[in-house]
Amino acid sequence: MGSPIITATHVTKTFTEPVEFKVLNDISLTVDRGEFVVLVGPSGSGKTTLMYTLSTLDTEYDGTISIDGVDIRGLGKDAVADFRNSMIGFVFQFHYLLPDFTVLQNVMLPAQRRGILSAEEMEDRAMKTLSMLGVADQATKKSSKLSGGQQQRVAIARALINEPKIIFGDEPTGNLDTKNTGLVLDILNELKAEFNQTILMVTHDVQFARRADRIISIRDGRIVDNEEHYSPSSH
Amino acid sequence: MKKTSTRSPLLNIAWVHLISKKRQTIVAMLGVMFGVTVFIFQAGLLTGLQSYFIEKTVNTTAHVHIYNDVRVARPNVLDLESDTAGTWTMVRNQKPRDEERRLRNGYQILREIERDARVEGVAPYLGLQGILRYGMSQQAGTLAGIDVQREDQLFHVADNLIAGELVRMETLPNAVILGSGLAEKLGARLNDNITVISSRGVSLDMKVVGISKTGITLQDNTRAYISIRNAQRLLQQSAAYITDINVRLREVDIAQSIATEYQNVFGYKAEDWKAANANVFGIFRIQNLTVSFVIISILVVSGFGIFNILMTIIYEKMPDIAILKAMGYRDRDIRRVFLIESIAIGTTGGLLGLLLGFITSKIVGMIPLNIQGFVSVQYLIINFNPLFYLAAFGFALVSTTVAGYFPARKAARFDPVEIIRSR
Repeated sequence: MGSPIITATHVTKTFTEPVEFKVLNDISLTVDRGEFVVLVGPSGSGKTTLMYTLSTLDTEYDGTISIDGVDIRGLGKDAVADFRNSMIGFVFQFHYLLPDFTVLQNVMLPAQRRGILSAEEMEDRAMKTLSMLGVADQATKKSSKLSGGQQQRVAIARALINEPKIIFGDEPTGNLDTKNTGLVLDILNELKAEFNQTILMVTHDVQFARRADRIISIRDGRIVDNEEHYSPSSH
Repeated sequence: MKKTSTRSPLLNIAWVHLISKKRQTIVAMLGVMFGVTVFIFQAGLLTGLQSYFIEKTVNTTAHVHIYNDVRVARPNVLDLESDTAGTWTMVRNQKPRDEERRLRNGYQILREIERDARVEGVAPYLGLQGILRYGMSQQAGTLAGIDVQREDQLFHVADNLIAGELVRMETLPNAVILGSGLAEKLGARLNDNITVISSRGVSLDMKVVGISKTGITLQDNTRAYISIRNAQRLLQQSAAYITDINVRLREVDIAQSIATEYQNVFGYKAEDWKAANANVFGIFRIQNLTVSFVIISILVVSGFGIFNILMTIIYEKMPDIAILKAMGYRDRDIRRVFLIESIAIGTTGGLLGLLLGFITSKIVGMIPLNIQGFVSVQYLIINFNPLFYLAAFGFALVSTTVAGYFPARKAARFDPVEIIRSR
């Protein structure tokens, strides 16, 4: 599949409260471009913490993480924000749409921050993304008026608007019913298949994990299993 | 919809926050509005009355007042003899000389000052304390011995007469003009005959030829004008005896320097009008301080209002802040959102306050009040100086920005991971 896009070497993160313990204990891993990677593990294993450190939201750790050849900790706070804005998209368990904004406004927020497109281009791209996700007809509605599955699809559209190199997810289907979970998974698979999108997700959803190229199992802050268990084609 | 989507997202977010908290936003705005209104009104009222008083004072008192200040300590007599710098001398118990209050060569000084081009007019004065009696009623008062024509030129005595004529001061040998308050207390009216008694025991029967009302309550309650000749008679003094010279200048602002100059030239104490009214200006300062304090407290309170609403919004919108940061909005973008909100509240409240302050001032200025105080006025005099409006607005903006800064900084420092993981 080619060159690594995420490289983590000897990443260690220590919590001192309430007692000192290592949430991440000397973790090294790489994620290749176009790879769909899932992080699994019991709660408290450190899988979510690992995702947040890899995604640049959490910069308090020892070791190095580089994304697309850039050492994240070498960047200032603002530079990390800019980097995240253009390189990374997020899908969380909850949609985190701004409730009083329309669907379209929500999707455009990252693009407006980036500010490289004109207002028309932004709107155009937002509408295209929304229609790809099948929610274009909801564009002028307030995001709080949508169903849970629609909201999560809008959230994915928002994550995609800046054409990020990596999509990070924290249980993106954790709050959805089976039907919508299937829908979201289909979308993610399509992104991978059509756009060679790199995806890294935290989940304990077996259905989800099955579709990934690789499953990384975390336990007590260490990688205990890192194999290409299943591939979508073999299933 | 298209319009809002092209607007800056930060402005948009701020706008949505304020709209979603309509009632609190309005209350915060009203707080600022109130502060600004009070600022405008209080400042206008206070400085209006003060400048009215100053104007009255400038018109009714001498710009420079020359008199013999017998309390002036004499310089060391030995210093007058030896002026070498290295000599140190001392004279113990050097008492003030037993001096008269009169100005020697008073009229000569007066004529000399009259030749000064900066001077508009100059008048001699001989004042004394006396008792005015009308039948059984009796009042202590200040008997102001004046040169009628000169005094009128300086202080527009005729303009202040609410009854009688000034010319009769000259045509009648024993004429008196009473201050309105004094006349009232005495029960004397125009053309009544009263008796004036001096501390020397001299008494004169006089006819009331005028009632004067300057608007300065103290003067109107105690002062009676008599001719300078009659004052001299009451004091059993000769025709050259005067105690004061009042000078009116073309330029009021140079009074202080001219007073110093005259004091050096003529050797008598010369006091400018500001120094003469130092106690009043002292009261003004205290008034201004008090009012400033009130205004500042109101603005501080309105600042707390803004602080409060922003804190509420921030905690309610924590998920929004978290996601904005996750999508790459910088700390300063977040800070800006909340600063925009507080400035919007401050600006709107401030502008409304300016309007309401103006309207309040206008309305209050139209209510007849007939105040008898420091000065007596029929209407409140309100100063509409645009500088107050500017200052009030400036204060409102500063206080709301400061009040908004701390919540804004707090929001900017939120850790998005903590917020997202705690859901």
